[in-house]
Amino acid sequence: MKISNNIYKLIITILIIHMSTISFAGVNELSDYYKTIRCLVCEGQSIQESDTEFAINLKEQIQKKYSSGMTVNEIDAELVKIYGEEISFNPQKNHYLLWGTPLIILFIIFIFIRNKIKFFKKT
Amino acid sequence: MKKNLIIPVMGAVVLAACVIFYLNQTTDKNNKQEEISNLVFETPDFYNNELIDEKAMGEFYVVNFFASWCKPCLAEHPLLMEMKKQGIKIIGVNFRDDEENFKEWIKEHGNPFEHILRDDGTIAYEMGLIGVPETYFIVNKIIQKKIQGPLFYEDIEQYL
Repeated sequence: MKISNNIYKLIITILIIHMSTISFAGVNELSDYYKTIRCLVCEGQSIQESDTEFAINLKEQIQKKYSSGMTVNEIDAELVKIYGEEISFNPQKNHYLLWGTPLIILFIIFIFIRNKIKFFKKT
Repeated sequence: MKKNLIIPVMGAVVLAACVIFYLNQTTDKNNKQEEISNLVFETPDFYNNELIDEKAMGEFYVVNFFASWCKPCLAEHPLLMEMKKQGIKIIGVNFRDDEENFKEWIKEHGNPFEHILRDDGTIAYEMGLIGVPETYFIVNKIIQKKIQGPLFYEDIEQYL
């Protein structure tokens, strides 16, 4: 009886923890997402940190869209379409050349140094 | 080509290619002609509770976002009144404002608007508003010019 009571309590506890994570999952996801959106009034801040009307309104609009069933990715795409890429702290993923150029330069420098070392070793 | 020149030349070519590539890129926003949000014509006028007749507004009109709590909005108000005198139709969008404060503000300072819409931020979001005051010059539903901040005479003299 004691064991079955304990098992019963354990199941209830697990269910409560699971339900609480479900209810907060959306809030945490949005809260994290707000930190990636730039406040265009105070550009050093995200809309999570900023208390401008712009940031407050944007958070409300995003919340509405999220509650209506839009995913964070869909909302993000819409925001970029309306406000431009500067709205997001995360750059668009298709800037391969931008991110790849320093690596290309590093690689060229590496080859250059390696060849120089080989040359000096020979002499 | 000398062997020791190959790598610096390769590097210079890669860099030049990157610079040319980025200089030739234009953003979608620069090329795309943005249309005014349909919400402007789907939101009833505050005073007569009717939807704005798009055709009655004509080819050219102005959309001005304002609020009673916004000091620069008050600064540009005389210009809006001047525009009204000159026959320019202005749709006022009252952004996130208390209704009583807004009515008092219009009563005290005058109404330069052909229509006034009350906005909880949804129209502002669709139009890409950053903050009040913000003014959009519309021709045939296309946004020709967007002025962030208060209007100055130089912004409107071509339309007067």
